[in-house]
Amino acid sequence: MGGKIKVKKKTTMSMRRRESLWGLLFISPFIIGFTVFLLGPMLFSLIGSFTNYNITSRMDFIGFRNYEQMFTADRLFWTSLYNTLYYVAFIVPLTAVGAILMAVLLNQKIKGIKAFRTIFYLPAVLSGVAVYILWMQLLSPSTGLINTVLSWFQIQGPAWLFDPDWTKPALVIMRLWSIGGTMLLYLATLQNVPGQLYESAELDGANAFQRFWHITLPMITPIVFFDVVTTTIGAFQIFQEAYVMTESGTGGPANSLLFYNLHMWNKAFVAFDMGYAMAMSWILFIIILILTIINLKLAPRWVHYEGGQR
Amino acid sequence: MKRSFKPALLSLLIGTGAVLSACGGQGGVAENSGAGVPDEAVEIEFWTFWGSEQRRPVIEEIIADFNNMQDEIHVRHVYQPWGDIWTKSLAAVAAGNPPDVVIQDINTVRQRADANQAMNLQEFIDQEEEEVQERFYPHLWEAVVHEEDAYALPFNTDTQVLFYNKDLYEEAGLDPNSPPSTWDELEEYAKALDERDGDHWETIGFYPLWNLGPDIWALNADNGNTWFDEDGNVTIHTPEKVEALEWVVEWQERIGRDTINRYEAEFGDGMADPFISGLVAMRGQNINYYSSLKDNAGELNFGVAPLPEKESGSGHYSWGGGFVAEIPYGAENPEASWEFINYLTDQAPQEYWGLNGFDVMANMEANEALAEHPDLSDEGRMVYDLAHMNLDVTVLAPVPLDAPDYHSLLNPNIDEIMLGKVSPEEGLSQAQEAVEDLVEQNQQ
Repeated sequence: MGGKIKVKKKTTMSMRRRESLWGLLFISPFIIGFTVFLLGPMLFSLIGSFTNYNITSRMDFIGFRNYEQMFTADRLFWTSLYNTLYYVAFIVPLTAVGAILMAVLLNQKIKGIKAFRTIFYLPAVLSGVAVYILWMQLLSPSTGLINTVLSWFQIQGPAWLFDPDWTKPALVIMRLWSIGGTMLLYLATLQNVPGQLYESAELDGANAFQRFWHITLPMITPIVFFDVVTTTIGAFQIFQEAYVMTESGTGGPANSLLFYNLHMWNKAFVAFDMGYAMAMSWILFIIILILTIINLKLAPRWVHYEGGQR
Repeated sequence: MKRSFKPALLSLLIGTGAVLSACGGQGGVAENSGAGVPDEAVEIEFWTFWGSEQRRPVIEEIIADFNNMQDEIHVRHVYQPWGDIWTKSLAAVAAGNPPDVVIQDINTVRQRADANQAMNLQEFIDQEEEEVQERFYPHLWEAVVHEEDAYALPFNTDTQVLFYNKDLYEEAGLDPNSPPSTWDELEEYAKALDERDGDHWETIGFYPLWNLGPDIWALNADNGNTWFDEDGNVTIHTPEKVEALEWVVEWQERIGRDTINRYEAEFGDGMADPFISGLVAMRGQNINYYSSLKDNAGELNFGVAPLPEKESGSGHYSWGGGFVAEIPYGAENPEASWEFINYLTDQAPQEYWGLNGFDVMANMEANEALAEHPDLSDEGRMVYDLAHMNLDVTVLAPVPLDAPDYHSLLNPNIDEIMLGKVSPEEGLSQAQEAVEDLVEQNQQ
């Protein structure tokens, strides 16, 4: 009897082992990719941030000096941090509000709504350098479309990318142009809000604004939360816009577009001070981590999940 | 189940391998130059950013000549786009698998020499019978020497000069054969050439910051001293440089910031060349601008002169740059690479490049030969002649090792000066302090 049980147990074990082997096999592309292309470089940059690594000839341990320099001596660290925070502070709320409003408008049941949805989503399809060049033309102070339209209303538009006070707002406007992707997320969620909630609210005499405020908004808070977290992370990483739209990545007039990542890039590839750049990347990582944790902690106060807390 | 396991694993591995190798294969667009590779020849890979219709055939012709004249070395040209070439080559050096020769920026040679990114060429130079450095203009040679050893060979260079419209000179009653020689004369001429109707300008005589940077006026005023002196001391805040920027600001005030912005934006939009169209009567620019004039200016009657000097006798200092041929550190066949770059900077190929691309060469004799070349027009020969002379007063601004990224501290201050937010005195003094700080940080 005992023997028989043993045999049976053995097959389950090997069955389980085989299954876990298969499982490992299937996720191995990710595990290998993660270790080789993500975890490895991350650890390397953590170690590198405590050295004077310059990519080719030196890598001596210098303790916390990179970090110390960043906070005490490097003026551009603070400039770049300020520029980045400014951008994040505008982008995050504006994209959320803008995308929600647009989604609500595009959720109306009117004729041709699909065409509108396509039109407003279209900019999100375009991306990269082509869009920046297009916008550089739109923002041209005298001949650009934006200032031309403003001049119809007797408004003298600013010099946008040439005026340090207007460079960051110009990038914010450019970013808002392509919120179609976020809008799509909201639109999908809006269509999942159960219709009977609106019907009963209407019976109770709630007006359109009350219905939006007390039904729509709470119902889509999980997506708002997701949007806020991801946009924050993305906005902190702004680089391409500034690199392309300022002369060879110099940071624009009076360094007004010297964003954190651009400064980091200059340190790494212009000054070859890769150790310092690595230290900067860890500080950015920590800043984003802290903000994300705060977001997660605050979430239960305002994010409403159907069927209770998750 | 057990049976199918191995083939599945195998096919997965092969699949991953295929994907990876496909990714790896995307690098530079390689193209063979010249005839097929002779057996047993050493093949060397040569990276340039010369992919344009104008440049590519010329460099490939030079390479083909080299490949045909001997059968020990075969050079393969690899075009890398301008924006990628140097970061790619840096990554390749770091990975220990660099190309054999790369075209690099002359102003950063020392920086790469210091960081072991470029190979020390002194040993090869010493073995040559001829004095290699005699080929080149002294200021170019100086830029490739780090701690008494050379790390690159200069290939081409440039210099900033004054282009002026002779027809407009005549209309304004100026002598088309005596361009302005001092800053005062420049201003006087410009005012005579200005033609405006309210906000609308028919002709703007001159504006110092169109096509030239404030750096150039600063060093022109300051006896040819750049932002750093020979010992690496910061020389941003000097009385002469403050004066130079005050002078530039005066121009800006006279013409009006709005006018300047408006026209600048239009130039940026790719409007017809303002010098060719006659909107701008004089323009300081890189002498290579001649090649664009040659192709597009049609009947325009123009002259070229050295940049005016601050005051009589202070010197017509100008500013230049250029590119070098460099052997990256860790390249596999340095002897073969040396043979090739030695050839590349020799008179004949240099002359060929200049003749076909209109470029100021690093090889002195090549420029001298071009100044008398029968295949060039009178104008073309005149421009080479001027270039050759102007290189005597042309200064390079090699990146200082203690502050390679000083521009990011200096430029915002200059921007603020030009925006009228601070005076040149204040702006340059702040920049001086900031860059000194950076030098100090890097010396720690």
